[in-house]
Amino acid sequence: MKDKLTPKTITFGLVVCFLPLLMYGVDDIVDFLSRYDIYLGWPGGEYMLRIIVRACVYMLLAVGLNIVCGFTGLLDLGYVCFYLIGGYTVGILMARLGVSYWIALPLAVLHGTVWGLLRGAPTLRLTGDYFAIVTFGFAELFFRIIRNEEWLVGAPNGQLRGIPSPTLFGITFNQNWHNYYHILILLTLVVFITYRLQHSRVGRAWVAIREDEQAAESMGINVSRYKSLAFAVSAAIGALGGGFIAQFQVSISVPFFDFWESILILCMVVLGGMGSIRGAMIGAAILGSLGEVLRPGFIIPYQFGNARYLIFGIILILLMRFRPGGLSLKKA
Amino acid sequence: MAQLLEQFINGLVLGGIYALIAVGYTMVYGIIQLINFAHGEIFMFGAYLALMLITVFNIPFWIAVPASMLLCAMLGMLIDLVAYRPLRDAPRLSALITAIGISLVLQNLARMIWSARPRLFPTETLPAFLVSEVNMQTGEILNAIPLPGGGILPYRDVCILLLAVVLMIALNRLIYLTKIGKAMRACAQNRVASNLMGIKTNQVIAVTFAIGSALGAIAGIMVGLSENITPTMGYYKGVAAFAAAVLGGIGNITGAMFGGIIIGLAEVLGAGYISGGYRLAIAYIIMIAVIVIRPSGLFGKSTANRA
Amino acid sequence: MRNWLTGLLIIGLVSIFGCGQQKELKVAVAAPYTGGAAAFGEMIRRGAELKQKEINEAGGINGMKLTLLFEDDAGKGSEASLVAERIANNPQIVAVVGHFNSDCSLAGQEIYDRAGIVELSPGSTAVEVCEGSPWTFRNLYHDGFQGKFIAHYLDNVLTGIESVAVFFDNDAYGRGLRNAFVAEAEKIGLTLVASEAYERDSTNFKAQLTSIKAKNPDAIFISGLFTEASLIVKQGREAGITAQFFGADGVDSPDFLTVAGSAAEGTYLTTPFTFGAGGAEAKQMETNFKALHGVAPDTWAALTYDAVGMIKEALEKTYNADASIEENRKAIREHLASLDTPEEGYKGVTGLTYFDIKGDTVNKPAYVKIVKDGQFVAAEKQLSELK
Repeated sequence: MKDKLTPKTITFGLVVCFLPLLMYGVDDIVDFLSRYDIYLGWPGGEYMLRIIVRACVYMLLAVGLNIVCGFTGLLDLGYVCFYLIGGYTVGILMARLGVSYWIALPLAVLHGTVWGLLRGAPTLRLTGDYFAIVTFGFAELFFRIIRNEEWLVGAPNGQLRGIPSPTLFGITFNQNWHNYYHILILLTLVVFITYRLQHSRVGRAWVAIREDEQAAESMGINVSRYKSLAFAVSAAIGALGGGFIAQFQVSISVPFFDFWESILILCMVVLGGMGSIRGAMIGAAILGSLGEVLRPGFIIPYQFGNARYLIFGIILILLMRFRPGGLSLKKA
Repeated sequence: MAQLLEQFINGLVLGGIYALIAVGYTMVYGIIQLINFAHGEIFMFGAYLALMLITVFNIPFWIAVPASMLLCAMLGMLIDLVAYRPLRDAPRLSALITAIGISLVLQNLARMIWSARPRLFPTETLPAFLVSEVNMQTGEILNAIPLPGGGILPYRDVCILLLAVVLMIALNRLIYLTKIGKAMRACAQNRVASNLMGIKTNQVIAVTFAIGSALGAIAGIMVGLSENITPTMGYYKGVAAFAAAVLGGIGNITGAMFGGIIIGLAEVLGAGYISGGYRLAIAYIIMIAVIVIRPSGLFGKSTANRA
Repeated sequence: MRNWLTGLLIIGLVSIFGCGQQKELKVAVAAPYTGGAAAFGEMIRRGAELKQKEINEAGGINGMKLTLLFEDDAGKGSEASLVAERIANNPQIVAVVGHFNSDCSLAGQEIYDRAGIVELSPGSTAVEVCEGSPWTFRNLYHDGFQGKFIAHYLDNVLTGIESVAVFFDNDAYGRGLRNAFVAEAEKIGLTLVASEAYERDSTNFKAQLTSIKAKNPDAIFISGLFTEASLIVKQGREAGITAQFFGADGVDSPDFLTVAGSAAEGTYLTTPFTFGAGGAEAKQMETNFKALHGVAPDTWAALTYDAVGMIKEALEKTYNADASIEENRKAIREHLASLDTPEEGYKGVTGLTYFDIKGDTVNKPAYVKIVKDGQFVAAEKQLSELK
């Protein structure tokens, strides 16, 4: 973020801004070549864009989780619960009550924040793994409520269908490239806010709490207040991601929000380097797309298709073995 | 009343298994402050390895069980050597991610080797008293104690419970009465200081992994006997056992035992009397309540601050 | 850092510009090959592989080889939507056989619709799957019918069943089927004494079973998959339950028998197909399947076998090498949609398949099987008049 406008950053910025065009451009080239019987194994621009949008959602979530895990140093194993709350708030409001997306999304963020504070309150005293297991328990609880209470969603298993795409000025945002710019704006906003928070009094207080809670308290930092703030901001970001994914996926069900997602997001934060926004984003970009990149026919041949998560695991182990401090930090 | 008794026994048996797995989590945690996510997978491998020894190599059950424990102990030590030892001084969460990676690798390996279909120990290879059945026509009960209310308590479940208790007591004695136990306690208190005192900490950690994994393996075999063997079994039982370890006060072996029993009972009673859909959720609510009231678990030291 | 990225980029480019093949018709078979439902995926893959082998050995489709691409959705909606986008955007794939889980079929539907590609499911039975999409078909009945059927069978065919308990899998399939069953059971006067849920992939059901036992039902309907049902039956008998167990098509797998053992004896279940009721073709398929894979086929292998066969027939009649991919995909849909009368229907090993306006198969009966001496056999009394 402190980079000057070098040619490298300008190119990067341009690529980010015009990524959908690039994808569709390659599609056209592939199409053109196929008329001359030249087949490239290009997986298709829409699919690539969808992976990228998903990776961006993971970036958003990783930045959010990084606030609790990276800045305040508390291990959160249940971050997915805010993702779920956001997703179902937007989903239920839009699909069942017909509320506009532009009203539902802020409401979802608010809802997430409230639960972030509620979950935070009893856990303020907890440290380390006791905090972790309580967050995990909370996530499981929400997961089961959505799954069991059929009246809430109106269908078994939290199966919510037909979430409408947002409309603005008569345009329906249902294409993958719409979603790309949509998430890009949200992501920029979140990164900006988090960055400003990190480099303010609040951010320094969080790091102080991470380094030594008692010392921080004796220096006059209101630990409870700053921890609660971290929980609230983090939860709000998670709910934002959930709200976005609900309209992006059109139909959601509870397995979207299972324990594995929490773990995956945590892996992203750690892989990138705890406490670094850029690290969280890099980690999310890698792990958020790795599952798809490792799908058969992409890099691995179809015969080894079932080895996808095996390779995923090996990559995790190797990355941690050789970069224990995360990708964004210098070698420990 | 008969129903309550039956549910209570169901809970105890499940709790005994949880306790055995939870001990594996808590021992490793006590020494290197690592949530060993791969422990559930070692538990699963224990069941599969015993199954392999019995069905492929035709080894009798009584030899297959200790052999599988031994193999799992070696697997545990191997994982420690290859994956965790290089990360001893790295940030704590890096080792956690490694553990998650290993868990993924082992689970998918099991799926590729043994396929995802549920497996069982073939009845004819098991010692006769472990096979309990009710003959539907005659109502005759084989190898089980009839319970009031029509249910049965198979000898198998009695064995599981007894074995769990015996193993727990043995482990407790091992920790408090032997030299290696003393070394383990020393390492748990302060690894660097123990090293300075001449304790070979890496060896002690390896032994810890071996013991935890062997107990996990036997728990896996128990589950294989009374339920079934699938590549995902480690995950579901592992998560509950981890909750049990934390509930009891992570790092504390007595705590893990009681935590396991409490989670097992809460799960069964919750599912039986409240709602099956909230089965484990009820156990988690109890766990959250206990932790919020006692922030370091039931048996944990309140001064412990291991963030 | 830079070396890493360069390396990744090179691997990516190599794979992207790797050479493609020609003269093949590609069909995706999307199912859960990993995850909790992987045992079903395995049979689906085997069924599809058998049909593929037979087609190619018989000279392919109009001289072109049929290639199946097995796409894994892990039984999760989130994965399925990515798989769907990946399939829909591959300009070489002409049709999709799948998904298995209703969750996944629903998650993929939107994307297949947009891309205009047929989704022919050999396993999703949730009622909503075929609603609202012209591109979704299935070659088996749906849960609305199955639930109703089971209620009637319990009431009319089996004697002495007054009260039932439902033990259901807590997901879209288990709950959907339970709702259909409960609605009909109440209508025809069966007393519902208990309705308990269990979680997919759990292996210990004693708690719920003990509380069901206390209600003393005459029959227990297990609305779920064989992985859990086999343990439920086994643990239920151990808990001293003497009630009649009744399962649905999710229970229909040889693994149900191996895990449940002698406890499975006398369990009834419904299925969209049974090899006992099939004709000579089914026998032939069973023999070929055993020769190729070394295990007996189950219902899902047979349904997938037929689904691939239907796509093959559609391709044979409609594929035009000069037309664009969109036109070819649409032609397949038109062909499937035109199979709307018994005369035009596809005759496969699982019987005649033709579709109604929604893409549902309405003609296929439900068969009832019973476990006898460790084998599935067709029950003595079938209930065929119910539609």
